[in-house]
Amino acid sequence: MNIIVCIKQVPDSTQVKVDPKTGTLIRAGVPSILNPYDHFALEKALEIKAKTGAKVTVLSMGPAQATAVLRLALALGADEGVLLSARAFAGSDTWATAYALAMAVKKIGQFDLVLCGQMAIDGDTAQTGPEMAYHLNIPQITFCESIDASGNTVVVKKLIEGGYQILQADLPVLITMTMPHDYVAKYPSFLAAHKAQDKVIRTWSDIDVGADPHKLGLEGSPTRVDRIFPPPARPKGEMFSGSAVELANKFVEILKKESVIK
Amino acid sequence: MIQISEKCVGCGKCTTACPFGALSLVNRKAVASAACTMCGACVSQCPVGALSLPTSSAVKKDLSSYKGVWVFVEVGQNGQTQQVRSVGYELLSKGRELANQVGEELCAVIIGSNIAAFYGEISQYGADKIYAVDAPAYAYYNTAAYANALITLIKKYNPSVVLFPSTYVGRDLSPRIAAELFVGLTADCTGLAIKEGHLIQTRPAFGGNIMADIKCPDYRPQMATVRPNVFKKVVSAPGKMAQVVKETIPVPAQAAKVRIVSTHMDPPVSGQKLDEAEVVIAGGRGMKNKAGFDLLENLARVLGGTVGASRAAIDLGLKKKEDQVGQSGVTVSAKLYVACGISGAVQHVVGMEHSDVIIGINKDANAPIFNVCKYGLVGDASQILPKILEQLKK
Amino acid sequence: MAKNDLTTRNLMLDSLKQYAKNRISFNLIREHDAKNEIPLDILKEMYDHNILGVHLLLIPEEYGGLGGQTTEIYRVCEQLARIDLGIATGVFATFLGSDPLNVGGTPEQKAKWFQKIAHENKLVAYGATEADAGSDLVSLRTRAEHVIKDGKVVGYKITGSKMWISNGGVADIYTVLALAPGGPSWFIVEKGTPGFTQDVHEDKHGIRLSNTAGLAFDEVYVPAENLIGLKEGQGFLQAQAVFGYTRLMVAAFGLGGGEEAVETALAYAQQRIQAGGPLAQKQGFMLKLITPHYIRFEAARAYIDWTAKQLEVNNHGLATEGAIAKLYATESGNKAAEDAIQAMGGFGYTKEFAVEKIKRDVKITCIYEGTSEVLEMTIFRGRWQEHLKSRGQYYLNQAAEFDTIHSQNPDVGADSVALGFRALARVLEDCRANKLTRHQYVTFMLGDLISEMEVAAVFTRECANKRVTEGSRFDIATLSTMARVNARQSAFKTASEGLRLILGTCPAINTAEVSQAVNLTSIEDKMRGLIDDMDNVSAKLREIFKK
Repeated sequence: MNIIVCIKQVPDSTQVKVDPKTGTLIRAGVPSILNPYDHFALEKALEIKAKTGAKVTVLSMGPAQATAVLRLALALGADEGVLLSARAFAGSDTWATAYALAMAVKKIGQFDLVLCGQMAIDGDTAQTGPEMAYHLNIPQITFCESIDASGNTVVVKKLIEGGYQILQADLPVLITMTMPHDYVAKYPSFLAAHKAQDKVIRTWSDIDVGADPHKLGLEGSPTRVDRIFPPPARPKGEMFSGSAVELANKFVEILKKESVIK
Repeated sequence: MIQISEKCVGCGKCTTACPFGALSLVNRKAVASAACTMCGACVSQCPVGALSLPTSSAVKKDLSSYKGVWVFVEVGQNGQTQQVRSVGYELLSKGRELANQVGEELCAVIIGSNIAAFYGEISQYGADKIYAVDAPAYAYYNTAAYANALITLIKKYNPSVVLFPSTYVGRDLSPRIAAELFVGLTADCTGLAIKEGHLIQTRPAFGGNIMADIKCPDYRPQMATVRPNVFKKVVSAPGKMAQVVKETIPVPAQAAKVRIVSTHMDPPVSGQKLDEAEVVIAGGRGMKNKAGFDLLENLARVLGGTVGASRAAIDLGLKKKEDQVGQSGVTVSAKLYVACGISGAVQHVVGMEHSDVIIGINKDANAPIFNVCKYGLVGDASQILPKILEQLKK
Repeated sequence: MAKNDLTTRNLMLDSLKQYAKNRISFNLIREHDAKNEIPLDILKEMYDHNILGVHLLLIPEEYGGLGGQTTEIYRVCEQLARIDLGIATGVFATFLGSDPLNVGGTPEQKAKWFQKIAHENKLVAYGATEADAGSDLVSLRTRAEHVIKDGKVVGYKITGSKMWISNGGVADIYTVLALAPGGPSWFIVEKGTPGFTQDVHEDKHGIRLSNTAGLAFDEVYVPAENLIGLKEGQGFLQAQAVFGYTRLMVAAFGLGGGEEAVETALAYAQQRIQAGGPLAQKQGFMLKLITPHYIRFEAARAYIDWTAKQLEVNNHGLATEGAIAKLYATESGNKAAEDAIQAMGGFGYTKEFAVEKIKRDVKITCIYEGTSEVLEMTIFRGRWQEHLKSRGQYYLNQAAEFDTIHSQNPDVGADSVALGFRALARVLEDCRANKLTRHQYVTFMLGDLISEMEVAAVFTRECANKRVTEGSRFDIATLSTMARVNARQSAFKTASEGLRLILGTCPAINTAEVSQAVNLTSIEDKMRGLIDDMDNVSAKLREIFKK
C-alpha cells in the first residue's frame, strides 16, 4: 500500500499576536510547527505502515524552510519527502493549493490513500483536503478520528453532528483527520532525528509537476483579501453596584443579553 | 510580490495594513520584502491606488448571468427522525437580507428523502423558491451524491451566492463543489454583506486574532460557509409558501465507493470536565465556606455548568485540587465564566481570561478581577447568589 | 552518517521541549523540589532510545551514539536548564562522567563502556571533587594502590572519599579520579563493587532534583583494564582537556536558567496592571529589572555559540574562552534570576511561580565546574600571558580591528568596543608597570573585565557580520541595538572599574593622567541615545514574549 500524507508548516498560533495599535500580526520570533492535525494524520499513516508495511510519502507545499516539517515526518518514520516549492505558488488560496498538491500526488504516482489533517491552524478552512480529492477524482471522507486500512478498503470513524459514523470506502480515497481532544503529538528521539538526515527529500516546482500556470498562485485563486482588521476589542467592563436583589436582577438580565438563558 | 507603482506617495498606510510586516518605507517609497504572500490586504488601503496584485491573463467570466442567493438547507438525521438544522434557517434569514439588497431571489436547496414536510417552515424564513431533490437514494448524506446534485443545480440555474452551514456536512460538501466549479469559498464567515455587487465575507483569520474581509470579484457563484448561532433566525414571511421546484438527479457511480457501516449518536451528557465546560462558576476565598460553594454548585446546575475554584479556595479545602483554575491548575475557555469572591490574582486570571463572557462578583470594587470582566457586580456573592437562584427558578 | 545539521538540531530541541511539556509539569518539579528528590523515572525516560536518548549525543557514532557537536550539546544544555537545572545536572553528570573516557580511553575501553552507556541507558557520575580538592584538584587525597600478581599490575585498590558528586547516589558507572603511584589517574568503578558505598543525598539550596552524594572507597578493587587510557598520571591532563568544553555547557545552563526566569517575570509583567497599565509598559521596571538582563543573555549566547564553533574546529582546549563563557553567562543568569523575583514582587517570592526555584538552582552554576573566582583567575592568567607576550599590543590590535568594523558598520557599537579594548590594554599595562597584580583582588577583577570586553567584542562582531545566533528569537536589527548598548556598558565598566583598581591600589599614580589614558570621557560620550536604545529593546521584548 502507498500512503501520501499532506503536511503543512504553520506558525504556532498560540504565539502569534496582534499589534494593538496597527492591528497587524506580530510574527517576529514566532516558532513554526507542524500543523497538529497533519501531525495526527501522519501518526495514523505510520500506524498503518507498522501493520501493513505500507510506504509513507510526505508532501508539503511551502518555502524551503518547510523542509523542517518534512524532516520531522521522516524522523517519525515516513519513508520519503516531497517539497513543492516555487514562486509560481505565491498568493495561492485553497483552490490553487489543492490543485498544486493534487498535481504533486499524481506525479508521485502510486497511491492508495491520501491523508490530510482536517485543516491548518493558520487558516482554519478545512477546504484543501476535499478540493484535492476532486482534483484527484477520488472519494473523500472528512473529519475522521480513526482509520484502519487493509486490503482494498479503509474503515474510518467519522465525526458527525452529535455523534459519529463508521464508514467503509474503497481505495483509493482521501481522508482528512481530526484529532481527539486528549491527543498528545509524538516527537522523534534524538537518534531518529539524526537518522532522518539520510532520507530523501525531493523538491519539485510547478513545472516538475506539470501544473497549468493559469491554475496556480493568484491566477488560480478565486478569493481576494479585501482588508484585514483587528477584532473588536473586549469592551471596557460594565460595573454595577446596588443591593443584593438589584445585582441578582442585573445578573439574570446579563445572562439573557448574552443568550446564556432565554 | 505585490506591485508598487510610481504613484506611491510614501504615506506608509500600507505598512500598517500588511499582516505579514512585509511592507516598509525606503526613501519614502513603499517596498515589499520576501515576506509578502500576495494576500492583497494592502491594496484597498492605498489612498492613491499605487498597489496592485499582478493581473490575471485569464478570460474573465461574464458575471451578469449569475443571479440569486442560495442557501443549502441541511436535513439532519438523528437516529430515526430527521429535521432541518436550525442553522439553515439562520442562513435563510441572512440570505433574505442579502437578496433584498440586490433585488434578487432567495432560494433554498434541500436534498434528502421524504422531505416535503419541511417546505412550509423553510418558506417562512423568506425563501422565494425551494429546489428540492427528494429521493430514497439521498436519505443519508453522501459526498459524491450530494455534490453532484448541487453542482447540477448550480450549473443549471447560475446563482450568484451559495451559502452553506458550517457543519460536518457543509464543510465536507462545499469545498468539493468549489473545486469542481473553480470558484472561491470562504469558511466560517462571521459576517456577510454586499458591497459593489460583491459578497463581502468576514471571517477570523490566524486563530481568531485578526479578522479578514474576503471577496471573489471575478468568480461566480460566491460561496461561503457559516457556523451555527452566527446569524439570528427571523421569520420574515409567516404563512407564505415558496415555489417548490422538484428536481430529479441520478446518483453518480462514485457514491457507492463510500458506505455507511453504522451510525452512533452520543448519549446526552451529564457532568462535564472543567476544561471543556461552556459555563464555569468559580469561587474564591470570598465564598468563605462549604455553604458558599453549595450556592455555586446550585447555580452551575441551573445553568448547565461546572464549578471551579481559585487557589485560595483550594487551600481552604473548599474544593479538590483538580478543580483549580489558574497557573498551577486548569485553563478554561468557557462561554460564560462567573468569578465569585475571587480577587483576580494573575495566577488565577491566566487560567480563565480567554473565556467569552466573564462576570465578576466581588465586594472590593478595586479587585483586579474586574479588569478582565465584561460585567462586574460589586457586592457579596454569598448574598447575591441566593437571590439569583430564586430569580432563575421563576 | 553526516554531522547533524541545523534542522536536525532544532528537531532534537523540539523533541526535548515537547517531552518536557508533556511529562515534566511544574507541579512535578515543585513536588520533587520540596521532597529533595531526583525524578529517576524521568531521567530514565530521557535516556530511553525510543523516547529521547539525550545521552547518545555525547557518545561517538562508532559506539552507537550520535557524536553530537559542541553546538548541539550546548543548545540541549540550555534547553535542559530551562526545564529544570536539577534534571539538567543529572543529564550533564553523565556527559561529564563520560568525558575522561572520551578524552583518554583506549578504543577497547571506549567500545566496552560507551556501548554499555548507550545501550543500557546507564547513569554516569564524575568523581573528582573531594573535601579539600574542589575547583582546584591538586590536593587530591583518594589513592589507588597497585595490586600485583605474578609481578604484574593486575589491578588497583582505591581508598578515599569524594564529595558533592552529581548522580552520586544513583549512577551505575563512576569515573573516579585517584592518585596512582604514577600520578593522578581516572578509573572506572561500577556500582556494587565491594567496598564502594554512597553517602546519603545532600540537602541542597537548589538543584534539588539532582542527586548529590559523597562516595566512599574502602580498598575498592578495580581491574587494571579500568584505568582510563591504561597509563597512570594522565588524570589532570584528561580533566583539563575538556574544561573549555564542559564549562561551555555550564555557561549554557546559566543562560537557560536566566532566560527562563526573566521570561517568566516578563510574561507576568505583561498581565500585571499597576497604576493604570501593565507593568511591562513601565520604563523604569523594564530598564531596571528586565531589559539589561536580556541584552546580556544575547551577548552570552553569541559568545557561547562562537566558542562552540571554535571548539568544533579545534576539538579541545580554549580553556580561557570556556572560562569567559561560563563566568559571563552564569553570573548574568544568577543576577537575572534574582531580579526576576524582584520583578514579580510577592508572587516571585512564593513557590507558586518558578522564579524562586530558578534563583536557588542557578546559583550552582556560579559554583560547580569552577567557581566564578577560580574562573576569574584562569581568565586573568590566560590573557595576562598574552598581554606580556605581545608587549601590551594584545588588546590594542583588537581595538584596531574594531575601528575597521566601526567604519563599515557604525550601528553595532564597534567604536565602544575599540575604546573598551584600549582602556583594558592601558589598565593591564598600568598593572604591569606598577606590579598591581600582587593584589589577588586585582587579578579577580581583571579577569572579570577581560570577560566583559571579550564577550562584548564577539557579540558586536557577530552583529556586524549580520549573523543571528542560532536559538536567538531576535532579528538582526534588534540584536545590533543590543550589541550597541552592551558594548557601551562594557567599555564604561572596564574604564571606570580599571580606574578604581589602579587608583585604589596605587595612590602614587597621577589621577588626571591615568583617567585620560583610559579615555573615560570618550566612553561616556558614547552614552548618547543609550536609553532610547534600551527602550527600543524593551518594546521588542514585550512583543516577543507576550503571553
